Amino acid sequence: MSRGWGIVIALVMVLSALAGCVGGGGGGAIEIPKLTGDFTTDVINLGKFFASQGVDTIKYTVWGAGDPNSIMRVYGIIEAANRINKIFEENNINVKITVDKHWEDSFSTLYSDFLSAVPQGTNGDFFVNSYVYIANLAEEGYILDITEYANKYSSLLNDFYTPLLDAAKYKGKYYGIPQDTEARPLYIRKDVAEDMGWDLTGLAEKVKNGEFTWYDVYKKAKEAVENGYANWGVIHRKGSAHPDLIQFIFAFGGKLYDEGTGKLVVDKEALYKWFTVEYTMAQNGLIPKDMMSWDWGQQIHPTVVGEKDNPANTLFYIGGTWQWAEWQTKAYYKDPKTGESRPLTPQEVNEKMYYTLFPAGEPGKQPVTLSQPFMWMIASNAGKDNPKYDELKDAYHELAFLMIVAASDSEINAIHSVISGHVPVRKAATALLNDPNWIQKLTNLQLDLSSDVLNAIKDIIQKTADPINIKFLANVSYMLDYTHFAPSHPYYPRLADILKDAIDKVLRGSMTPEDAVNYVVQKVEADPDLKDNTEIVGEIPKSWHFP
Amino acid sequence: MLRRRGSIAFFLSLSLFIVVLFYVIPLVLTVYVSFTPMKNWNVPRYIGEFISIKNYQRLIHLLKFDPDTRNVVITTIVFVLFTLTINVLGGLALALATYFIDEKLSATYQVLWLLPRMTPVAVYSLLWYYFFHPTTLGILNSILMALHIIKSPIDLGMDPALMPWGAWSVIVFVNGLVGVSYGMIILYSAFKSIPRELIIASRVDGATTWHIIRKILIPLSKWHITFVTVWQLLSLLTSYAHTFLLVEWRIVDSSWGQPWALYVFNTAFVGAKDQGLAAAAAVILSIIGILLGVLTLKVLGYERMMTEPKGDI
Repeated sequence: MSRGWGIVIALVMVLSALAGCVGGGGGGAIEIPKLTGDFTTDVINLGKFFASQGVDTIKYTVWGAGDPNSIMRVYGIIEAANRINKIFEENNINVKITVDKHWEDSFSTLYSDFLSAVPQGTNGDFFVNSYVYIANLAEEGYILDITEYANKYSSLLNDFYTPLLDAAKYKGKYYGIPQDTEARPLYIRKDVAEDMGWDLTGLAEKVKNGEFTWYDVYKKAKEAVENGYANWGVIHRKGSAHPDLIQFIFAFGGKLYDEGTGKLVVDKEALYKWFTVEYTMAQNGLIPKDMMSWDWGQQIHPTVVGEKDNPANTLFYIGGTWQWAEWQTKAYYKDPKTGESRPLTPQEVNEKMYYTLFPAGEPGKQPVTLSQPFMWMIASNAGKDNPKYDELKDAYHELAFLMIVAASDSEINAIHSVISGHVPVRKAATALLNDPNWIQKLTNLQLDLSSDVLNAIKDIIQKTADPINIKFLANVSYMLDYTHFAPSHPYYPRLADILKDAIDKVLRGSMTPEDAVNYVVQKVEADPDLKDNTEIVGEIPKSWHFP
Repeated sequence: MLRRRGSIAFFLSLSLFIVVLFYVIPLVLTVYVSFTPMKNWNVPRYIGEFISIKNYQRLIHLLKFDPDTRNVVITTIVFVLFTLTINVLGGLALALATYFIDEKLSATYQVLWLLPRMTPVAVYSLLWYYFFHPTTLGILNSILMALHIIKSPIDLGMDPALMPWGAWSVIVFVNGLVGVSYGMIILYSAFKSIPRELIIASRVDGATTWHIIRKILIPLSKWHITFVTVWQLLSLLTSYAHTFLLVEWRIVDSSWGQPWALYVFNTAFVGAKDQGLAAAAAVILSIIGILLGVLTLKVLGYERMMTEPKGDI
């Protein structure tokens, strides 16, 4: 070996040693504190750790979606950051978390955006969206498996309702913590029913017992429209069959998922019955044929809360609990006295709307509802915009987890429930809703919230913190006993897309119910991946009639 | 000589660089992605996974068994043929009309026809949204109702009773109007480059306008018409922006209003986000585009146009 090569090798060795000293903080690996399960201790440990690494500002972004009243889905994370910052401050830790927020009205659009943003690293660190996306996001490695962290906080998790925790899991692992849930009642306009001379007393109980089915809904809707009491018999969501319309499948005793095989299910009999109900109603002018193209703000809600021909009204509406609060904050109601659109007051909503479970499809079947719990999810690259991310990644993930722990605070959950019409996910939050003192504090805005968060939501609180709404939430809570969930399966969004197209064709009359069932089967079988993940069961019933 | 070659190489290398960077590399990448299971934008996970021709097999399977994918093929053929006809013949008609009228008036007229091209896609599509809106809000419905041609509003692009021609007529009409100005500009310039003496002489000899069009303007603009035809054909094969918005806004039926290019876009970026399958569909579209382009040039005699003229110039 020449002398020159010897010098080069020596230099490389010296530089390597130096690099080790600089990069490794004295040669050893960075030891990131492990979570203990005690929130304050964990916050302090992590805060001190970040300070020791020279990180004084930590930036996260939260992406949330939903109706305008559900903004605690992003403000919950901001409040969590504020609470953790306060602990840092009290312990003289010079670290501060900042949170940017991004909001989308449509949760499916937000999901699409998230999918395309993760590989580019432009996604939100927190993703607050439906549990239904967990399967696909977990399969792609886009969201964090938080099982290890969650196990440390088992006492917190024990306070959540079990079915919701199950929805947060995929293949036995936690990928989120429940943020909210809801029921999907069938709303009935009390004023229209009164005009018809229909006494609604005890109807919810009849629905519960399966004595009032979709056959009865059809009869009443027809009566209301044909006799000029309502412009429409039934109104429902636009754009997607998931989640509201798939209740029909369950209401006709069908299923969408086979626990045994882990495959999606296309239940031909239930699909046929669902399609027949909608087809019959649309052909008879009870549901708009272009229902799937209606605009939420311009057509659907103004009709649901509207007056006959001003702009229109309906007898039934397949809606959700959150809309009870939405009608109180958005100007959907066209006031006949002033001609102006305005929100309804809690009293007016209560006077207009009766609510029941989604009735059984036919005699002998059970009423249902459907819940789509939203989850606090953490992106697998959470903390990516911060210094020394590659070295401190686990610490950023742990801190992100602590933030969703803080955002799961029972008071935050209870506030969200009241102002957005969602059902609490924690027993402690339910207890707050039953506590008159806390309700009083909420009404008086005496809440333990940071000022920026309080300012952001105080208008909504002032409009919605009303005993009527609290009572509504209590009244609908029984519906969760009848709830169903859409499958948490990576291919479910594809199947849901096919169902959307099928029901649109059925409503427009371009396909008969039988054609539409065959269309769904054909579409599933034409996609080899979907076909491998789907079972097609049942047959189109020959002697079944509706109405 | 060497210096001249150096200059040629320099100028060629610049254009070659641009072609390679913006055309060849994306095409190669698309072909590559079509052999991977790429989906959900998960490039790091799927980029190294090779699945042979599975995406092409899936596409053929879909074409065989999925009614909507079959509709895409039929829609593409109808859309391209009809829109191309409007683009070329409409462009020709407009160029002729503007050629024979007063120059100032002609300029104003041309600017009017260029408006669709100058208007942002979203704004232009929004105009058509309100034009075809299936209620009394829709301009078309208001006009037809005012003329007592229809009693209640029609949903031209969505009504099952009017499918598939209803949806096709909307997308052909909208895209036809966008493309027609291109032909107008090219062909108008071609007519203007024809020596005026020829026109004057033919007039003196008693030629009518029709004779001038048939015997002078069209024959002398043959290559321009060829160019416009091929250019528009290839553009239409790959255009989807206006159609995408009309389908998205539910003015046009998604099954009968989706040409192949839009199918590629929707498969890649909407719904299943199946970028591998979309890439396979895009590769097939590119191959069809290349074949059609070559075929059209052959049929229209492109080689003769490019042959060096005989004799000295």
